[in-house]
Amino acid sequence: MVDDSVKQPESGMEQKEQSSSTPSLLSAEKLCKSFGGIAAVDNAQIFVPQGNITGLIGPNGAGKTTLFNLLSNFLRPDKGQVIFDGEPIQHLQPHQIAQQGMVRTFQVARVLSRLSVMENMLLGAQKQTGENLLRVWFRHRQVAQEERRNKEQAMSILESVGLAPQADEYAGALSGGQRKLLEIARAMMTRPKLILLDEPAAGVNPTLVNQICEHIVSWNREGMSFLVVEHNMDVIMSLCHSVWVLAEGKNLAHGTPAEIQTNSQVLEAYLGN
Amino acid sequence: MADYAGYLVYLTISTGLFGLFALGLNLQWGFTGLINFGHVAFMTVGAYATVLLSSQGVPIIIAAMAGAVLAALLGLLIGTSTLRLREDYLAIVTIGVSEFLRLVVQNEEWLTQGSFGVQSFPLPLVQFSPNPFGKGVMIAILTLIAALAGWRLWRGIFQQGKPIDLLVWGVAATTLGLLLYLSGAVALLNYTYKAGLMLLVLIALALVYGGLESLVRSPWGRVLKAIREDEQVPLALGKDVFWYKLQAFMLGGAIAGIAGAFYAWQLTTVYPTNFEPLISFYAWTIVLLGGAGNNAGTLLGAVIFWAYDSLTRFVLPQFVPLDDARLGAFRIMIIGLILMVLMVWRPQGILGRKEELTLGR
Repeated sequence: MVDDSVKQPESGMEQKEQSSSTPSLLSAEKLCKSFGGIAAVDNAQIFVPQGNITGLIGPNGAGKTTLFNLLSNFLRPDKGQVIFDGEPIQHLQPHQIAQQGMVRTFQVARVLSRLSVMENMLLGAQKQTGENLLRVWFRHRQVAQEERRNKEQAMSILESVGLAPQADEYAGALSGGQRKLLEIARAMMTRPKLILLDEPAAGVNPTLVNQICEHIVSWNREGMSFLVVEHNMDVIMSLCHSVWVLAEGKNLAHGTPAEIQTNSQVLEAYLGN
Repeated sequence: MADYAGYLVYLTISTGLFGLFALGLNLQWGFTGLINFGHVAFMTVGAYATVLLSSQGVPIIIAAMAGAVLAALLGLLIGTSTLRLREDYLAIVTIGVSEFLRLVVQNEEWLTQGSFGVQSFPLPLVQFSPNPFGKGVMIAILTLIAALAGWRLWRGIFQQGKPIDLLVWGVAATTLGLLLYLSGAVALLNYTYKAGLMLLVLIALALVYGGLESLVRSPWGRVLKAIREDEQVPLALGKDVFWYKLQAFMLGGAIAGIAGAFYAWQLTTVYPTNFEPLISFYAWTIVLLGGAGNNAGTLLGAVIFWAYDSLTRFVLPQFVPLDDARLGAFRIMIIGLILMVLMVWRPQGILGRKEELTLGR
């Protein structure tokens, strides 16, 4: 149960208006979600501008992953509004949101271990004729053609992330870091407008973290927008154009990485007083 | 001699119809990960719908198709109510529904004659008497199916890298297959109803197998396998997971419905006791034996299961001094033992892939 309905954001929060030049690709306002009596996300808001890499940080238990789940509708918000690409999306099913062009990854990389790396990638392709039961039987040629095209696309993404040699291996045989890479590559395969990355650097060795970051930056240069939850501050500071800070389910601060680094409230939330 | 040939034809029909039945379960569980402990429910619907409709004068093929459609609708009903929940709920509901259906069939005597059973319903090809040319065509079809089966079996074994234990299985299955093929060909030559039914069930099996193989290798099948591995992933990638689960459940149910029609035609009298939960677990045994998520393995599982059944039916009484009822229980006990040994020695099933079990999540 959430107590009184509309609370103003916390007084200390830096209320930055969206820079008017870049319209928000994703905007969420007044999001609330509680489990039992605990408000995991409490009146939170977040704006993700088109073409940016936006960071979301906060101490453990701040509600980052819950907020992520609310944005992608893997959890239903108790209250609040999520607008993606100009359309309200909170009434949609998770798969419909992915079809609209917002794809998420998971905190612990979820690859389909008993499928090959290539099959993992192909699963990402959208609007496949061959995903319709009857068309598999009656549109054989079209399905085969599409499959060939999708394989080419998947191969070129795999090549760019260096997983091409493993294309025919079981995804379960990949290392933890490679799984993260595969998961992001698979999200790219859906040709999304926005990718939500849940801790892309968690449990990944530093070399591979740098690689992952490089790929994110280069995809961003090609126009892809990202929202990144991450504990690794180096990653956040080097990647993000702007950062949102969440603490105890509420917005604590918002600004450029440099501003966040020197924000006393943020330091307090992380280190305690 | 004639008696043995007749028995071998019966064995082929049993293998074929339980192969069909288990293919349905393999689609649901082996490929999609849906735990269905009440698979016999679909068979019950298929069997009773077919015999009751055809008794009312509905053409037999349409009656059988209606049985398959009704079985799929049962899948829709169970699926819409449980497929959104965690998988164990489906397991409980399916076993409940299968017992519920059997009890309905047993008690609604106005419709099903209850425990007296439905008798003297129309059978397919019963008045059919082929001329020599017709017999030739039928034997040619049988030969084609047998050749396809042999080729598929050996391709599967070679793909596994020809391990010795598989070679032994392969030789045993091929010998048995040849025996069944020869007895089938002889039976078609001296055409009887059972020989015709045997050919029908084999044709249905070949068609269903072919259709399923092209499905599971397609993008559609890929989504099913993704659901089996971790349904959050396809969901996050824009696949309507619930709808795919429902499709797999309904299609698997329809296939079991067709198996039900053949079951009824083989029994020629259907009683509620023919549809006990044990039948569902026959299908599970077959799928586990052959290797889950492998259609060829499932068919091999059906062959082994029925070979075991007839072997113990004839051989065991010679060695084990037990009465019939105890012997029946003893045979099922041994199946359990074989499954346990299999789980230790080859947990992926006979044609399953070992690598798949050693992969971390």
